[in-house]
Amino acid sequence: MAELTLRKADQPQKGKTWPKPEGATRLREFHVYRYDPDKADNPRIDTYFVNLDDCGPMILDALLYIKNKVDPTLTLRRSCREGICGSCSMNINGLNTLACTKGMDDSTGPVKIYPLPHMPVVKDLVPDLTTFYAQHRAIEPWLKTTSPTPEKEWTQSVENRAKLDGLYECILCACCSTSCPSYWWNGEKYLGPAALLQAYRWLIDSRDETTSERLDNLEDPFKLYRCHTIMNCAKVCPKGLNPAKAIAQIKKMMVERKAA
Amino acid sequence: MGSLNMRETIITREQVANPRTHYGDAKASTRHFITQRVTGLINVVFLGFLLFIVVRLAGQDRADMVGVIGNGFIGIPFAVLIGIVAVHMRNGMRDTLEDYLHGRMYSLAMMLNTLFCLIVGLAAIGAIVKIVFWG
Repeated sequence: MAELTLRKADQPQKGKTWPKPEGATRLREFHVYRYDPDKADNPRIDTYFVNLDDCGPMILDALLYIKNKVDPTLTLRRSCREGICGSCSMNINGLNTLACTKGMDDSTGPVKIYPLPHMPVVKDLVPDLTTFYAQHRAIEPWLKTTSPTPEKEWTQSVENRAKLDGLYECILCACCSTSCPSYWWNGEKYLGPAALLQAYRWLIDSRDETTSERLDNLEDPFKLYRCHTIMNCAKVCPKGLNPAKAIAQIKKMMVERKAA
Repeated sequence: MGSLNMRETIITREQVANPRTHYGDAKASTRHFITQRVTGLINVVFLGFLLFIVVRLAGQDRADMVGVIGNGFIGIPFAVLIGIVAVHMRNGMRDTLEDYLHGRMYSLAMMLNTLFCLIVGLAAIGAIVKIVFWG
C-alpha cells in the first residue's frame, strides 16, 4: 500500500552533534540516520565530523572512522570493502549505492546517510532484507533440468554464455529494488528488479530446461507486471546493470509465448 | 520506517510463489499487458483519425457534423475506436488502482472504474449509432 508520509513515530528528529576531532584541519561533516529498536525514541539524525587526514577516501572508510573512533554504537553492514559482497548498500546523498565504492569527493557539503529506503530497519543503517531474500529464493535461482545428468558437466557455447553477461554480476545489494516506487508500494507482492534480473538470468540460460515453468511462476499482475519502467533500478545499480531491460525481456518472452 | 515490527518468521519460497497468498494474485496478466499495448497502439492511430475529423468539421454546423459522422464508413470505425479507448482507459486506471489500493477499497474503486468506462463508452457509441442510423 502506498505510504506517502512517515508516521509520527518514524519521523527522524535532530540528534546529537558529536565533537570535532581534536587538532584536525581537514574535516567532513556527516549526517547519519540512527535508530535503536530497544528504545522508544524516534529515529534521529546524528552529526559527525571526520578527520580526512586520518581516513580513507570512501564513504565506508568514513563510517568505519566514526564507528572506531567516535561512536562505537553506530551499526552498519560491511564486509569486502570492494563492491563485491553488497553488504554496505545504503542511501547516500539521496541515491542508493555501496558505501565502499562511493568516494567522499563525489559530493560537496555534508554527506547524508540513510538506510535503504522503505525497508524495515533493524538498527541504524541495517535494513531487514528478509522479504528481499525470500523473493530471490522464489525465482529458484539454480539450474533446473529434466534431461539425464551428463557424466561430466552441462556444457554451454561461448555465444550462449555471453547472454548471461550483464546479469550474473548482480551482487544482491538491494539498491535497485529499494529505489523502485513500485517496490515501495507493493514490496511484498512485486518481486522487484533484483529478483527479476535473476529470474531472467535463469530464463535465458541455455542449460536450463524449465523455461515454461519459470514463466508460469511469473505470470501474475504483481510479481512481474508492477514494473512501470521507472528506471530507478538502472540508475542506481552500483554494478552498472540494467534490471529494467531484463524485466522488459521477460515481458517479451511472456507475450511471445502467448502468441505462439 | 524506524518502528515497523520486525518479522520473526522466515517467508518461504513456496509462500511467495503461491498465487493464493497475498504475495501473488490471479493469472491472465499477460493478456492484460497485451491488451493494454495493442489498444494503446490503436489509440495512436485513432488520435490522427480524430484530429482529422475535428479539423474537417471546424467552423461547420450540426448538419455538417451529422453528414460526416453519419457516413457509415466513418461513424462505425469511430464507434469501434471509442470502444477500444474505453477498454484502454479501464485497463490503465486498473494499473494505477492496483498500485495504490488494496482489499475492499480496490474492489470498490475498480467497480466504479468499470462502471464509468462502460457508461462513457456506451453513451458515446450510442450517440454515434443514432447519428449513423437515424441522423
